Amino acid sequence: METRAEFPLPDVAWEPTREFWSAAARDELRLPRCASCAAFAWYPGERCRSCGGAQLAWERLSGRATLFSWVVVRHPFLPQFRENLPLVTGLVAVDEDPRVRLPTRIVECTPEELAIDMPVEVVFRDLTFPGVAGHVRAPLFRPLAAR
Amino acid sequence: MRERSELGFATPYENVSGEVAIVGVGEADHTRASGRTSREIAVQAIRRALDDAGLEAKDVDGFMYTPYGAGLDAQAFREEFSIEHDLWVSTQGGGMVWAASGPYEAAQALRAGKARTIVNVFSVAWATQRGQMVGGPGESHAEDLFKQNLEIPFGWFPQPVYFATIARRHMHEYGTTEAQLGAIAVACRRHANATPAAVMREKKLSLEDYLASPKIADPFRKEDCCLISDGGGAYVMTTVERARDLAKPVVEVAGVGLGSSDTGVHWAQQADFTATPQKYAAPVAFEMAGLDRSDVDVLACYDPFTIVSLMQIEDMGFCPKGEGGRFVEGSALHFDGGVLPYNTHGGMLSHAYVLGIAHVVEVVRQLRGEAAAQVPDARVGIYGGYTGPQAATLILARKD
Repeated sequence: METRAEFPLPDVAWEPTREFWSAAARDELRLPRCASCAAFAWYPGERCRSCGGAQLAWERLSGRATLFSWVVVRHPFLPQFRENLPLVTGLVAVDEDPRVRLPTRIVECTPEELAIDMPVEVVFRDLTFPGVAGHVRAPLFRPLAAR
Repeated sequence: MRERSELGFATPYENVSGEVAIVGVGEADHTRASGRTSREIAVQAIRRALDDAGLEAKDVDGFMYTPYGAGLDAQAFREEFSIEHDLWVSTQGGGMVWAASGPYEAAQALRAGKARTIVNVFSVAWATQRGQMVGGPGESHAEDLFKQNLEIPFGWFPQPVYFATIARRHMHEYGTTEAQLGAIAVACRRHANATPAAVMREKKLSLEDYLASPKIADPFRKEDCCLISDGGGAYVMTTVERARDLAKPVVEVAGVGLGSSDTGVHWAQQADFTATPQKYAAPVAFEMAGLDRSDVDVLACYDPFTIVSLMQIEDMGFCPKGEGGRFVEGSALHFDGGVLPYNTHGGMLSHAYVLGIAHVVEVVRQLRGEAAAQVPDARVGIYGGYTGPQAATLILARKD
């Protein structure tokens, strides 16, 4: 497989998710929303999957979500993650539309503190990987009570 | 919220019950990294399937494979078997969901007179390739740019992580336990221990062993995850009428159904997160076959992870949705006395990671009475194929 030099960092210039990553660089969580039916279009596509509308605008979200499910990764499935293990990765359902799930990392807690559907909030952190140049600011989540 | 019925659909299928028979089955050697190519593995599987049917390569005028990781395409098949006559070729074959839906495509070709004897083949050399960091089951996922840019940076990758996420949600919604997932792994290992061709034929696994095993992607242990192995399989199809003149007992395609999710190809966004499209596929197949769940003697499902077995058993209707955990406990899935003998060769967890083609081989052998872990007098068997956004049910029945 040919991979970008910055893999597993995202390609922040890739058009379909460019706004997601440029918003994250400003510590904002933004997702595309349909101007016709107000549904979020996630993952990004040319058109709204609910109504077929073509007018999608990137809208800022509150950053509040619930923990849909998670995994404690202890095995280095990708060698670049070896020094980050164990890590908690999973899906959060955003409050504005719980059908929209964001893959993310759950941080600032231990796995024992986690429960399905618990409230979580976004925190922005730099993703870095050993042997990979650069960093990318990314929306991670932590339990809401952890502040 | 959208209605559940809007989350997926069954492909409209014509009734092909009783038209197609599987007359030959063959497996290549299933091994850890072997240095073999997937092409030579496919050739070995086809030779064995033709020998099993009592047919020769010159009899074959239809060839089905998948372009995804193909070990042997139609041109290579011609070269390897010195075939110069016309060949009906379909790329809607191979393993996974297509090992189940392939016979429907074959039925259409047989009806139209495009072919009389059709081979479907699938092979992989992923154990060998893994050492070279090319190929393998993770690669096609890592090439998906949405995964590269929205999932992988957060460590939500690869398949064991997707399905451990599903498993934890299933546990929350239905009370499914780790020990219940373990019962599936133990049943499959027990069957592999009785199957000489299985990669894990010599390695025992008790429920205590399972529970003591460390978690690699909590809630998953490595025993929840399929093997990586080199191997392959093939089966030969013709009309039921012609099958009566061949050596083996006739095993016919009694029913087939194909279901699809309407919420994309990414697991993260599946609206029906703890279900599979078998819930759309299985009713079509059972109706076509004129059979019910209680008629099924042996079930084999594409099983990359324990939870995928559990969900398909539920979604095919062998128990109410959410009760799969209690259903699979104890010896329920065992070949000798279980209520639903399941993956009686060991499945992808313990037999071989050949993406379902060996499951079809095993079901045919069960219905002929030739299996290693034989279910007494098995007459109706099912292969459930799965890819994620699609699933298919293939109901086979012995006719005599």
